Amino acid sequence: MTKNRNVAIIGSGMSRFSSHREEVNQPEMIHEAVVEALQDAGVMLDDIDCVLHGNMELFEMVHQPDMWHVIGDGVWGKSGIRLTTGGTTGATLACAADNLVASGLHDAVLAIGFEKLQEGHTTGGITNMADPLWGRSLQTGALTGTGAQKIIDEFGVERARWAAMKYRTIMDEHAMRNPKAHRRLRLERRYIKETAENSPPLAGELRMIHMCSQSDGACAVVFASEEKVRQWKANPAWIVDHETVHREETMIFGSQKNTQRVAAERLFKRTGISNPRQEIDVLEMYDPSAWWGLDWLRDFLLLSGDEAIKMVENDEIAIDGAFPVNPSGGVIASNPIGATALVRVAEAAMQIRGTAGDHQVAKPVRRALASGFGGSLWTVLMLLSKEKPEQGAETHG
Amino acid sequence: MASRVAICAVAQTKFEANKWNLRMQGLLWEVVKGVREQTGLGFGKGGIDGAVTVSDDVFDARTISNGGITDVVGAHYGAEEKVAADGAQGVYYAAAQILSGHHEIVLLAGHCKESQAASRNMVTHLAFDPFYTRPVGLDYLAAAALQAQAYMARSGVTEIQLADVVARSRRWASLNPVAQLTAPAKREDILASPMVADPIRRDFMYPVSDGAIAMILANEQRARQITNTPVWIAGLGNCYDSFFLGERDLGGNFALECAAKRAYAMAGVANPEKAFDVAEIADQYAHQLPQYAEGLGLCKSGREWLESEGPDRQNVNRSGGMLAGNPLMLGGLARVAEAVIQLRGEAGERQVAEARRAVAQGATGPAGQLQTVVVLES
Amino acid sequence: MGKEKEGRELIVSRQILSIPQHFSTGPVMGRFLAELRDNKRIMANKCPKCGRHQLPPREVCAICHVEATGWDELPPVGTIRDFDVIYYASPDPLTGETRQVPYVLCWVDLDGTQGDAPFWHLLDVDDLTKVRRGVRVRVVFADDRRGATEDIRHFEIIPDEPIEGGDAR
Repeated sequence: MTKNRNVAIIGSGMSRFSSHREEVNQPEMIHEAVVEALQDAGVMLDDIDCVLHGNMELFEMVHQPDMWHVIGDGVWGKSGIRLTTGGTTGATLACAADNLVASGLHDAVLAIGFEKLQEGHTTGGITNMADPLWGRSLQTGALTGTGAQKIIDEFGVERARWAAMKYRTIMDEHAMRNPKAHRRLRLERRYIKETAENSPPLAGELRMIHMCSQSDGACAVVFASEEKVRQWKANPAWIVDHETVHREETMIFGSQKNTQRVAAERLFKRTGISNPRQEIDVLEMYDPSAWWGLDWLRDFLLLSGDEAIKMVENDEIAIDGAFPVNPSGGVIASNPIGATALVRVAEAAMQIRGTAGDHQVAKPVRRALASGFGGSLWTVLMLLSKEKPEQGAETHG
Repeated sequence: MASRVAICAVAQTKFEANKWNLRMQGLLWEVVKGVREQTGLGFGKGGIDGAVTVSDDVFDARTISNGGITDVVGAHYGAEEKVAADGAQGVYYAAAQILSGHHEIVLLAGHCKESQAASRNMVTHLAFDPFYTRPVGLDYLAAAALQAQAYMARSGVTEIQLADVVARSRRWASLNPVAQLTAPAKREDILASPMVADPIRRDFMYPVSDGAIAMILANEQRARQITNTPVWIAGLGNCYDSFFLGERDLGGNFALECAAKRAYAMAGVANPEKAFDVAEIADQYAHQLPQYAEGLGLCKSGREWLESEGPDRQNVNRSGGMLAGNPLMLGGLARVAEAVIQLRGEAGERQVAEARRAVAQGATGPAGQLQTVVVLES
Repeated sequence: MGKEKEGRELIVSRQILSIPQHFSTGPVMGRFLAELRDNKRIMANKCPKCGRHQLPPREVCAICHVEATGWDELPPVGTIRDFDVIYYASPDPLTGETRQVPYVLCWVDLDGTQGDAPFWHLLDVDDLTKVRRGVRVRVVFADDRRGATEDIRHFEIIPDEPIEGGDAR
């Protein structure tokens, strides 16, 4: 099967991410992102014909929030769909927007992901992911030390701790350049060892300092057809392809590959990428913790052994490095869960479009990769490019 | 646009007031198994290459509730995307996945157990904003009652006419093996049922219901390999109305007319009053049958339509409609299911002769704030 | 005189929202829970195609896409495959209670399990240094059981049994 027609991101907007945006209610917060996205895209609300909406509603305990949010997201009189896939929601919304525009059903789709975590209990909401019949009372939200232990088993506790904290520090350095970021801590490299050892532990070697934020925030992204890109003289970041890989909730053990690696293998095979580290210029990864970030860097770039950990040790993942990771600061800096995965896509697009301002990477960006994470270790992976993909590129494989 | 999309198989559980003996995995497996048996399709290369699921975290009382059914829908190391709205929205999205070229064969699977919560009204109460509409006490039932008042005042549709709508629903439902409320009901008894939210009486509401529905959608090339009776999706449209009930024309059909217009444009339907052999309307409440018939362009006056046997003339809700029982998340999907069954000639005693084109409608949100319309052709 | 800055307190609406539920267990999970409650038996089901166990049992085998129809009782004894020492007390979603920290969760391969189906539960231990991969543990059942996670109180280390695999961790 080939993709019916090309789709590009032509604009994006984000509310400021914060631990409590108490001065706005949910639709007001979404409205901020929508207005910015439309301005960035250079279009009016009338130009949008479909609005996608998603979040994890058990956090805020609003049922079908897309109903109420009509007053802030502009979908009145328009087509729309609500999609929810947990933490991957934002990336699923991006895939859906790509599908809807590619299908020909719509020419311009506005995708909106949001979360107002401060209005609920985040860990409680995540705990409710577990089966109510078995295990819910054991679940500890998203906290587990097993990810850290895996790295420690492989590289030894000293090297592992140091690399995880270095990764964390670099993420903060990036966040310091991103005015939208929630947590900007001014972490210093000279304190890496100390902080790695003294930050309060949450589970095993997963410490507070490694763990993602709980943020309020909304992200809105405008997707348009090739024709509309031309008509509006837009600045496009083209969607090349995307892949979604889920995993049955109890089968998260054993020697099977993780969904990150499987998604990367499938996506790169279809898109003809044999050396992602060379052929892709920047990665916006959904990294819920520094440990997982370290681990999945290896999977997303199809690396092995200590190739990925070296990239961290050698500053390759820094904003001016050979392969920048999360120039936005990533999920450890800001995590408005329903928006987070969409923010990765938006940030990847910003890098291609050259609109990332102070956190624009130093090197030219031809291809960007964005990942979403959620559920029982699911992955959504999306590849974007500066060049328009060839019409008739193979999509299904 | 790319090639066409067809619905190749449909399976429904019997809809019941309380499917206490099955949890969501078991419920969904029944219908997933059903469509796989109908088509012989497996998962992965050459078979089903993705799933679109329909469910709701608040009804399921579980965050990312689709996390519990990954195995059932074949999404272990596969793709699954969840639509959290009426299942007709799932049809819309699954069709888009295929038209985009990203998928060839999609499993669409939805489930909902209204019986699980102490009251479904407690669930829909949470759809209202925490500051005003919720404290005022709104839920979808109250919203529907306000809609009913507005519509009945404008249209002149009477309570007696609505009772007859309900009685008719039971007659057709008795011929539908999956329908829930099939016992005949007399006008007097329906009118004597207790008032629940003026002017909605208990028998005017869709019953509390549990169930699941699965379908297989495919692109044209694959559909012709899978089945001899593909049902083509000829038109799709959806549209949102405002949120605050006071800002809406509650007795009118702003969103539905808009959704229908989009679907009809795509399907090339110029005269909806004559275009369809079968019509399936998601009548959660009896007054919505004539109201949404107007919105779909099946008639101009719902009252006159009822008076002139419109529902029978136009073969509306041969399934029994939503009044016979579907859970909130599946009302529109059940309408599409019946339309498909009719167009495949598999509707048994309730079959419409030579059915070739159908319209199916689903609603999401308070008083049908979001409307979805699907036009199907054999 | 300086201009006074006018501030206004933002109203925050505090609510507790709860909807009582009754969850069906179905024949598969239902049997697992009933055997636990009535007989202190741990039942796994099994895929007829690939032969792997599922614990707790599930209707379908995720790999083979067929119903998992076989049933096996597994002994309440096994080996720790992995564990988590939890320092942050996450509140129980129903009661709001939190456990005393640190506490340990473990994944245990019950003896005779086919495939990857480690059983997950609490580990009761007062000396964290005793917790290692390969340690042999056994189930401690609750006296009052009602067909729920709490029917198993926790795992406990079987004293004087050698560590399997001699793992350093």
